[in-house]
Amino acid sequence: MASTLFRTIQIHPFLLYPTAICRRRNGVLYCTMKSTQTQTATQEKQQPPKVKVSQHTQSKTPDKITRDYEAIIGIETHVQLSTLTKAFCSCPYNYGSQPNTSICPICMGLPGALPVLNSKVIEFAVKLGLALNCKLSLNSKFDRKQYFYPDLPKGYQISQFDIPIATGGYIDLDLPLEFGGGHRKFGITRVHMEEDAGKLLHSGNGDYSQVDLNRAGVPLLEIVSEPDMRTGIEAAEYAAELQRVVRYLGVSNGNMQEGSLRCDVNVSIRPVGQSEFGTKVEIKNLNSFSSINRAIDFEISRQALLHSQGHDDQIVQETRLWEEGAQKTVTMRKKEGLADYRYFPEPDLPEVILTQEYVDGIRNSLPELPEMKRRRYEKMGLSMQDVLFLANDVNVAEYFDATISRGADIKLAANWIMGDIAAYMKNEKLSINEIKLMPEELVELIASIKGGTISGKIGKEILFELLAKGGTVKGLIEEKDLVQIVDPVEIGKMVDKVLSENPKQLEQYRGGKTKLQGFFAGQVMKISKGKANPVLLNKILLEKLNAKS
Amino acid sequence: MGSRALLMLTNFKFKSSFASSSSKPFYLVKSSPTIRKLSTKTRSSLQPPDVRRLAETARISLAPNEVEEFAPKIRQVIDWFGQLQAVDLDSVEPAFRADTEGDNLREDVPETFENKEALIASVPSYKEPYIKVPKVLNKE
Repeated sequence: MASTLFRTIQIHPFLLYPTAICRRRNGVLYCTMKSTQTQTATQEKQQPPKVKVSQHTQSKTPDKITRDYEAIIGIETHVQLSTLTKAFCSCPYNYGSQPNTSICPICMGLPGALPVLNSKVIEFAVKLGLALNCKLSLNSKFDRKQYFYPDLPKGYQISQFDIPIATGGYIDLDLPLEFGGGHRKFGITRVHMEEDAGKLLHSGNGDYSQVDLNRAGVPLLEIVSEPDMRTGIEAAEYAAELQRVVRYLGVSNGNMQEGSLRCDVNVSIRPVGQSEFGTKVEIKNLNSFSSINRAIDFEISRQALLHSQGHDDQIVQETRLWEEGAQKTVTMRKKEGLADYRYFPEPDLPEVILTQEYVDGIRNSLPELPEMKRRRYEKMGLSMQDVLFLANDVNVAEYFDATISRGADIKLAANWIMGDIAAYMKNEKLSINEIKLMPEELVELIASIKGGTISGKIGKEILFELLAKGGTVKGLIEEKDLVQIVDPVEIGKMVDKVLSENPKQLEQYRGGKTKLQGFFAGQVMKISKGKANPVLLNKILLEKLNAKS
Repeated sequence: MGSRALLMLTNFKFKSSFASSSSKPFYLVKSSPTIRKLSTKTRSSLQPPDVRRLAETARISLAPNEVEEFAPKIRQVIDWFGQLQAVDLDSVEPAFRADTEGDNLREDVPETFENKEALIASVPSYKEPYIKVPKVLNKE
């Protein structure tokens, strides 16, 4: 732990009251709209708990108290792998199947059944280890983590204890602009393979619970971070970046709501300048990135308040649950003593041996990762906002790459994707893979507008049809006769027609109502069916309007 | 603790902090897998197990008289293995595992188990479609 970077970044006061930004859900889009109304609502909810405040602290506002402390945050993440079968048996796994239908003697832990490792699990573990810049253990092993719980059929979980498959890595990310932006690099302590337990459901009338073993034995990768995060937003963005990476790699769908990405957070505080760590509190039941953000900020202020009042002994090492409804952390029932998992090497599984060739093969097959994409997009001259949007979803990035590789203007392509196309996807609830507009046609559309074949306005109109029904830009232009009119003679004729048909307005214009130019322009557009080039139209119109006076 | 003594029976030694740590997010495995420098030289006698606590964690019910009866017997077994402590390991690299076979891997191809009905039928307490269990709120 001493090897970690100790950042002395203090918590900015505004982060104590996080804005309720519409965070990226697990879908495609990254909605950067800010709602000031919800901002104040969150601020109200974030008022410090009602505690008897002594004379000293009454004068200090909550954010001032927090400023005296530095928060140390670490995150443990469990990623459910998207293999076709479970880790140690050939049962398929499908989220949402009927309970207890994907079972066999191995995952049920029946006597005599022996585990056999799924080779894909090793492949995915190596992929993730490399993507997180870790050192891989060419020799590692499995261990038994023993405890009793109704969702754990064997009475132990097959995991990796002291020799994980990957150690000592880091992850790069960029904080969202609405939180101040900035680049961060957080350490990764270890990545190891393990199996999931079944699902335990507590029935309504308290005297029994129910177990579904479909999930028992599903492979997980546990990622433990260095305690490098200092604020809720850094932690939330770390989790978001892990989601991006596992999706880019195709090792997991990284869905917090489905449980294929689970985060437990450890928070402690210490007075600024102190080198010893404070008491660490674990927070569970975080179901979204925004909960991670809010739970941590709440916990920091809870601990800071206690500390500032001299009650730091009330901060105990415990596990707390985040209550989404009440927007606060609460104590779980306290355990008696520390758990003793009695780890020992799993005798039923051989050593996991990786060859350098195997690792190199996987390294060479890695796709371009989010961090590399962001740096490449930055170099192309895109703004940070564009970069963050385009690189967020691997499918959007691929679409964008396909468009610019065919020669489209970079900035224009970015604007179309982030603007009209994104809006359409949001309205129709489609992913970018489901829209009918192909990258090649977007290239054609951009070129047609840039080259003057059609006007920008017409471009937007046919975009909608292309998105919904597909087809080609050239085809639509021909079919609907959309070619822009740029012949001054033709435009001149239309202007003359409009002016002669609207003598009253013409007189008003000549009398001083120059705003009527817009009216005339609109009329010309109408008779040209929107095809008149607007710049040319206004030039000719102005000439004719002012000429006759 | 008894659990630590049992761990000594395997062919590598843990640093004492590992054995009692549960959820361990902040430790760093400093040693490389090939050569692990073990700081503790436990040539001294092995600690006797706390049999009562061991039985609790293993969910084996022992009456107090049985605890008293078994403790020295277990101690004897451990001491018998303790003869291994006499071996000089200074120039020997620790092995991860006792065996020398390599991987036994399987392809990621789904196969449904044919007789799932028999599996369900063998569950003592089943309330379709779930396995019915007593309500336990705390993990160990």
